[in-house]
Amino acid sequence: MSASTKRVIDARGVIKEYGDGSTKFRALRGVDFHAHEGEFVILSGPSGSGKTTLVSILGCVLSATSGQVRVLDEMITSATEAELPKLRLAYIGFIFQGHNLIASMTAQENVALMLALRGWNHVDAQKEAARLLSLVELGDKVGSLPADLSGGQRQRVSIARCIAGNPPIVLADEPTASLDAQTGQLVTEVLHNLAKKRGHTVVTVTHDNRIYHFADRIVHIEDGVILDDKKETHP
Amino acid sequence: MSDLAFTAPKKAFAPAAIRWRTMITIAWRMMFHNKLKMLGTLIGVVFAVVLSNQQAGTFMGLIKKNTMFVDYSGADLWIVSPSTLTLQATKPMGISALYTARATRGVAWAEPLLYAGAAIQLPAGGTEPIQFVGTSAPRFAGGPWNVVAGSRESLMRPNTMIFEDSERERLGGLNLGSVREVNGTKVQVGGITWGLLPFGPSFAFAEYELARRMLRVDQDQTHFVLLGLEPGADPEAVKKAIMSRAPELKVVGREEFRGMIISFLLRRSPIGITFGTSTVFALIVGFVIVSLSMFSAVVDNIREFGTLKAIGATNGDLAKIVVTQSITFALMGSLLGLAAITRIAAAIRSPKLAVQLPPQMLLGTTVVMILMCVAASSLAILRLRKVEPGMVFR
Repeated sequence: MSASTKRVIDARGVIKEYGDGSTKFRALRGVDFHAHEGEFVILSGPSGSGKTTLVSILGCVLSATSGQVRVLDEMITSATEAELPKLRLAYIGFIFQGHNLIASMTAQENVALMLALRGWNHVDAQKEAARLLSLVELGDKVGSLPADLSGGQRQRVSIARCIAGNPPIVLADEPTASLDAQTGQLVTEVLHNLAKKRGHTVVTVTHDNRIYHFADRIVHIEDGVILDDKKETHP
Repeated sequence: MSDLAFTAPKKAFAPAAIRWRTMITIAWRMMFHNKLKMLGTLIGVVFAVVLSNQQAGTFMGLIKKNTMFVDYSGADLWIVSPSTLTLQATKPMGISALYTARATRGVAWAEPLLYAGAAIQLPAGGTEPIQFVGTSAPRFAGGPWNVVAGSRESLMRPNTMIFEDSERERLGGLNLGSVREVNGTKVQVGGITWGLLPFGPSFAFAEYELARRMLRVDQDQTHFVLLGLEPGADPEAVKKAIMSRAPELKVVGREEFRGMIISFLLRRSPIGITFGTSTVFALIVGFVIVSLSMFSAVVDNIREFGTLKAIGATNGDLAKIVVTQSITFALMGSLLGLAAITRIAAAIRSPKLAVQLPPQMLLGTTVVMILMCVAASSLAILRLRKVEPGMVFR
């Protein structure tokens, strides 16, 4: 891979506990994780291994019980509740397993919404949203509601929304889980290009070993501990 | 995908105007997307608007019926007996009050008025009550008004009276020229009024002297004295001047007298409580419907709200969505409800029942609906505060 040496995500000794007393459960047990600019990292592991918990903490939607997480120059583990939405807007783009588009808004509006939250004015946001939809080959679907799109198309709208405003980090949670093999392959290619051509740091949680070959690194997590962190060698 | 150089974003957080605009757009999109739920919420608001206005409007109509005589009389001041609580003479006062008033600086005119219950003999037997008004010619301060048949001046003919159109059938099929016996005196119908139906028996007018004889009021007594002021005269100064010369009298302004009548009505009759309770009930039912509908809409869209939080919307942003929806429901519901109630009021309007819908009340209703809907959305806002952005990964 051609990842630069700039470390975009740097997590050290991350512990996450849920519940308390007899119901206390430790989902992450001192995880160290990092990712560089332009790197495409896959987080793998069985269900309940802690990978989604880790991505949630990296995405500033969940607080770690202890440990340190730095995103670029920001120590997000010391951020207050009120600062977290701002950090998400500044650094993170999300792609969800279920697409999570706003059902009542068109593809263009879903993408423009992200830009508006990032401070773009209405006209510019609409134009940029149309451009981003063209990038994911949905230029003819700007006015379609999510219900009128296929699963693959919805996921591509979700990708366009994710990169709207150019966040440095893209966190994807099982982006191919609800897609057929061919569409899953296409979506993964798009994610790969986000890292390789646009310089985003892409961290993808997946069970889907058909897409492992796209990754720069595959980090295997089990029982809240990283068991393996290996670089992929691409032909 | 084309190749674009990555540039790190500036720490962008949309200014308030852009956030408001964005949240308003989302709010309206969500509202109109689920039309059935929107209809349910709107029905709640429309119900509250129609029922509360119908009750309040009917109450205002009844108030107007009770004060219409004071409103129509054109008198700036009324001299009344000190024990007077409403527009019913408790006991006659001396006619000297009339001459005191006429001799007071600032008084343009003063006329005596008799106002008492009487009975009309029906052709088929039996009697019906009427509200007998004795009014002084030629000024006729104190009525009659809205004379739709015959003329007011007919009262200057001997033994002539004017009756109310809407009560003609009840009074035995009265027509111009009909002869009836009122308080034992045969009188002829010289005119017909329209809409002069107070909260009780209808008005029937006679010239003052005829009325005095029929009501058996002594020559040196009267029930009320009505005063008109000269332009620029200070009502308070005139009141003081009259009361200093005749301390046994009470002088009240038009608005003051209206207030006395309304206060008497509210204290001595259950209509205030009855209509007030119904109005509050309508608002409570509307509040509950809107509150539950909005809460349910939030629960239905909980994943979308979670997504919005995950991608950077704050609790305040989500509250903006719900508040926008509640205000929109209030405005739409008020518009539909007020359109409906004004048409209903026009359709059922009659001298016997006139629902009063003054513009202040319609505007007030809209404000109350906005407050009600915003308050009703608080449950939904509380629910949204508990939405965890992390839910989007589950």
